[in-house]
Amino acid sequence: MATLSFERKYRVRGGTLIGGDLFDFWFGPFYVGFFGVTTIFFSVLGTLLLVWGAAQGPTWNLWQINIAPPDLSYGLNFAPLAEGGLWQIVTICAVGAFGSWALRQAEISRKLGMGMHIPWAYGAAVLAYVTLVVFRPMLLGAWGHGFPYGIFSHLDWVSNVGYQYLHFHYNPAHMIAITFFFTNCLALAMHGSLILSVTNPKKGETVKTSEHENVFFRDLVGYSIGAVGIHRLGLFLAVSAAIWSAICIIISGPFWTKGWPEWWSWWLNLPIWPGA
Amino acid sequence: MSALRARSMTVAALAVATVGLSACDLGKKETIQSGFRGTAMEQAYDMNRVDAAYSQVAIPEVLPPAGASPPGPLPWQNVQVLNDISVAEFNRTMIAMSTWVAGTGNCAYCHNLANLAADTLPSGEPIYTKIVARRMIQMTRHINAQYEEHVANTGVTCYTCHVGKPLPNGLWFYASQNDYLRHYLDRDGARVITRQIEPSNGNRSSVKQTEWTYALMISQSNSLGVNCTYCHNSRAFSSWEEAPPQRVTAYHGIMMMRDVNTNFLAPLEPVYPAVRLGAMGDAPKAQCITCHNGAYKPLYGAQMAKDYPAMWGRADWNGAPFPGLYQTPPAADTAAPVVTDAAAEEVAAVPAPAARVRAGPND
Repeated sequence: MATLSFERKYRVRGGTLIGGDLFDFWFGPFYVGFFGVTTIFFSVLGTLLLVWGAAQGPTWNLWQINIAPPDLSYGLNFAPLAEGGLWQIVTICAVGAFGSWALRQAEISRKLGMGMHIPWAYGAAVLAYVTLVVFRPMLLGAWGHGFPYGIFSHLDWVSNVGYQYLHFHYNPAHMIAITFFFTNCLALAMHGSLILSVTNPKKGETVKTSEHENVFFRDLVGYSIGAVGIHRLGLFLAVSAAIWSAICIIISGPFWTKGWPEWWSWWLNLPIWPGA
Repeated sequence: MSALRARSMTVAALAVATVGLSACDLGKKETIQSGFRGTAMEQAYDMNRVDAAYSQVAIPEVLPPAGASPPGPLPWQNVQVLNDISVAEFNRTMIAMSTWVAGTGNCAYCHNLANLAADTLPSGEPIYTKIVARRMIQMTRHINAQYEEHVANTGVTCYTCHVGKPLPNGLWFYASQNDYLRHYLDRDGARVITRQIEPSNGNRSSVKQTEWTYALMISQSNSLGVNCTYCHNSRAFSSWEEAPPQRVTAYHGIMMMRDVNTNFLAPLEPVYPAVRLGAMGDAPKAQCITCHNGAYKPLYGAQMAKDYPAMWGRADWNGAPFPGLYQTPPAADTAAPVVTDAAAEEVAAVPAPAARVRAGPND
């Protein structure tokens, strides 16, 4: 079932980025490749290490399991396994797994002669993660600035980091990121509903086409972005959301230490106000 | 056309970059961890800002220890508070205070130079600065004796708040803009959070009360140059169990402020001339920033009180008694032997600077 009868002819040799023919084969429906092997290696090792960490106690409560980064005093050095070293190894595994996944997407795209849009788009999300646990900690000088791996614990981390800057919603990059997230939701909902509306006419009517799609939006707002355009817009909105998320956290600490509301005093300090 | 557009785009990009960069902290960063690893219980500092603030703090040189005093009972007239320290320590304290508060070594800021014992000017007008200073010494001693939970073994002196100026920073008066500061005087109930899951009539806190609490917290944050996580774990703001110990210190600080404002500062209202009173005719009152001046510890923890037993209000500092303490204090001020003004002036003339200033008009 997983492999349809016509799929085989697309299973062409070549297109690998590394390893040549070594892992250039499929396992069931899945393309393997060198990066498939590394994905499996890092994700299985990382997950097992998380489970091992949970087994060290004090809880098996799924909400409360917490694999925390080292104390700030360890700086950018390795920490003992039970004092944040585990977090460091898990982070290496996570970065390895996410990176491998993106490169596997790139290999499959090359095999199929497609553009690199998918790995780049996925890479934006990986960038946001790596910014949180690698780039920002390196700029601040300690791995302890990464977020802990745990459901509640990472939420508590988010809360406290937000309050370190008094009110994170005043972070300008956070504002832009949130705007992109919401606009992304709007665009996807409009696009999804439009496609479903033309493919689900009332009984007896024929399925509509792109002409109807365009006319609907021209009637509504005077403009239709078009079939390809909506996907360009969607990609832009989604990738922008991830990238501005990365920006909003990388500037918090390395480039700003006071409350974010205070940052806006540059506006009040502009030399354009009467009496300034 | 397109060149014009490109140029205007470049100008816009440069403007954005300039504003963006000028609104950045570019100094070295220091982060202080105060909770379990990974909880982000941290204080983030830009060292350029810290260095700039720290360089503003000047700690006066400690005056040389007081020398030997003439034996026998204290020779003063009208000394109501500092009657438990030796003559030499008394004079030393006066000189220190002139620098700490008047900022100029100026005895005349508080004294009638023709009669140092008097509470009035030659014109008969009361010297309000002297009367206030006397009450402030009592307040300082009260703080050092009663609020060890807040001032610890650092304690306070006049300089802690005054930093060389007659008017400390952050004095406040009744005004609609700073209603929240009433919490440091006569208003209870900073907490506005409902404790049970669902809202109920048990909590009638208004939006205004909520805003007061928020403003109170932000003013404390600004006063100490710290963020919310200095005193709170934001996952449960109200929880004392999860809060850092600094929150307990801050709580005692609030109690101290209420005590100080209620019993020392606000009652001085009749003493002040109109120019020192607020629009509602109330006396100036203190808040956290009055002493803290933007630092987590006033004067970044410089220990001044230990060198000035007149500020203590107790017999020892960290177990070390001070040699300048008057060993057998008189039973009561009125019972102390009264000496003539001339004799008092003679004793007061021991330290050179005070004598110089005081002798001026008589020359």
